Amino acid sequence: MGRIKAIIVKEFLHILRDPRSLTMVFITPLVMIFILGYSVSYDLDRVDAAVIDHSQGRLSRQLVQSIAANGVFVLHGRGASLPLDRAEEMLRAGALRAIVVIPPGFDRRLAAGAAAEVGLVIDGSDVNVANLVQQYSERILLEFNAGLTAARGATGLPLRLDTKMYFNPEARSQFFFIPGLIAVIMLMISALLTSLSISRERESGSLALLFISPLRSGEIIVGKTVPYIIVALLDGAVILLFARFWFGIPLRGSLLVLLAFALLYIVAGLSLGILISTAAPTQRTAMLAALLITMLPSFLLSGFIFPLDSLSPVLRAVSYAIPATYFLRIIRGVVLKGAALRHFWFEGAMLLVLCAGLLAAATRKFGRQRKAAQ
Amino acid sequence: MKLRYLVKKELIEVMRQKELLFLMFVSPVIQIVILGYVVSTDIRHVPVGLVNLSRNQVAERVSERVRRSPLFAVRFESRRSADYLDLLKQGRAKAIIVFRDPLDRKRSAATYPEVQVLMDGIDSNTAMVAAGYFNGIIKGYILDDLARRGRGLPVAGRPLFRFNPQLRSINYMGPGIVGFLLTIITMFLTSASLVREKEQQTMDTLLMSRLNSLEIYLGKALPAVLIGLIDMVIGLLVVILWFGIPFRGSLFFLFLASLVYLAAILSYALLISVLSATTQQSMFFAWFSLILFLLMSGFFTPVANIPQPLRLLADINPLRYLIQIIREIFLKGNGIAHFWKDLLALAGIAASLVSVSLLNFKRFISR
Repeated sequence: MGRIKAIIVKEFLHILRDPRSLTMVFITPLVMIFILGYSVSYDLDRVDAAVIDHSQGRLSRQLVQSIAANGVFVLHGRGASLPLDRAEEMLRAGALRAIVVIPPGFDRRLAAGAAAEVGLVIDGSDVNVANLVQQYSERILLEFNAGLTAARGATGLPLRLDTKMYFNPEARSQFFFIPGLIAVIMLMISALLTSLSISRERESGSLALLFISPLRSGEIIVGKTVPYIIVALLDGAVILLFARFWFGIPLRGSLLVLLAFALLYIVAGLSLGILISTAAPTQRTAMLAALLITMLPSFLLSGFIFPLDSLSPVLRAVSYAIPATYFLRIIRGVVLKGAALRHFWFEGAMLLVLCAGLLAAATRKFGRQRKAAQ
Repeated sequence: MKLRYLVKKELIEVMRQKELLFLMFVSPVIQIVILGYVVSTDIRHVPVGLVNLSRNQVAERVSERVRRSPLFAVRFESRRSADYLDLLKQGRAKAIIVFRDPLDRKRSAATYPEVQVLMDGIDSNTAMVAAGYFNGIIKGYILDDLARRGRGLPVAGRPLFRFNPQLRSINYMGPGIVGFLLTIITMFLTSASLVREKEQQTMDTLLMSRLNSLEIYLGKALPAVLIGLIDMVIGLLVVILWFGIPFRGSLFFLFLASLVYLAAILSYALLISVLSATTQQSMFFAWFSLILFLLMSGFFTPVANIPQPLRLLADINPLRYLIQIIREIFLKGNGIAHFWKDLLALAGIAASLVSVSLLNFKRFISR
């Protein structure tokens, strides 16, 4: 134990010697959460649309009214009638998201008790937005229909549907993205912190000294990881506090549970960094690899932005190898749902396995290099 | 052309490192393919639980439609009431659909049960989409039921999607990936290039050569432009051939915009390189900027959602304009008439970045 301590103290000195980098490690995540917390959002609260009413009757005007009253649709060219080709051109230029076309016979057909159609031309380029726009318009039409059938004497819609959103009743996407950002940033910081620890010694030539020291390879690897646990944990705590008090992300579960898992998660990230550092020939390659390996997969294959349930089986399998996958579930569960320890035995176990595997791989790689050097 | 030798030296330095070569030319292909599959996955297989407390046949028929739909994956079914909140907390399902018979006698005579959907709202986007899917199922059922009785809803909407009729996500996300990739590779390659010379004390050698500062600057930037363009071609080929995304616009403007963008991003990377003291710092800055560029570019979420004071940051984000232009060219086949403003903004950003970075570079050289 005393021997590991020597390495730990040495690494600590390394960290403290470079206060500029240390401040960067604390400041940048905060700046990132601040900017991205506001900027990354799916919430669609404005849809520019045009209504072309060829019918100009009582019912068609009523429909236009209810579209305008919805609050999401901002209607253009209501007074003067907008020609369709002008509207289509505006759709192409991105000034409009949707065009509602009410055909000439609309009022006449409805008055006669027949069914009528409404055309919806939607900009499909952003699929997500297109889907939401369609849903909004569907809902408006559904209510319009209910009103019509009620007026005709029949009961409203026969099947009553009541949707409740738990944990995030206002459907704010900040609730989704901010805990996710915390998880992703913590992993990247951890991996970055240690990714240089061995490659730096390799470039400055001091690695040979470590090789001939009496310490076992495992001891060196562990000793190089421990000091950064404290740095990364502090970093995580700062980010979490910021999210709690600035963005008002609630903390519904136990902080202790979150910390316990955060510790595991950080160790996984640090071990990944150490492994990369051992394998990479230069600092530059080490950092590049650490960034590419942690950034893209934890952005894309962890459920940070894209739900894992929709992925193909192969990519789902890959997601099981990514530490962020588990911690994302844990942090969202604890912070937003108030989930308890018993909900996460699988995630915890998988994080443990990943930590052990990564540390073992780093130790083996280091041991082999050591043998080759001697 | 003394410049030629410097470019050659830089290229040799890159080519010497096998790992770097891999990161530059092989990983883009892997990344695009994976990225393409991930970002193009539309929301499907939403895990749901079905709880049927109703004795009504309708509940069973609607449940059957949910089971058959590829949009939902039924994780559990039950005929008893349970602690729904705990089920949601466990994360076993994103939504629980509960069918109940109405409580009051008068209504229970009606033919339909009440349906309640309890959703995990954390991923609000998925929740909204899933709610939409379920509404669709209910609506389909009602329409079929009405049709059987010879009736229909008075007004039906007929949606028509322009530019992307099948609403394939990949058509929207795929072209953006090329811009994304271009940024990552060139940024990391260049942001460390000068620092390394500083650290290895080879900068003096470079300074003693008869190259002037502009030539050194270009010598650092041109190899990255070349590599960036090669990566871009690789990216375009993968996107068009592998994912079958239709290309409708002008290749000339696509490359023109990319060149302007490369000028912007490379001078930014060189600025980082001039300003940082160690490789570690430069990489850190590069990483930090990269994430901001990426997440504020409209690639993942719409730029329009960024609130006002921060929108200014997005407005000076060069990647935002590149992605906008690439998407317009790819999806809408738009010409210069539609995106000249974006191209102009991009050129403006590039010009100011180049001059700021060149000024700093000159000051750094003369020291």
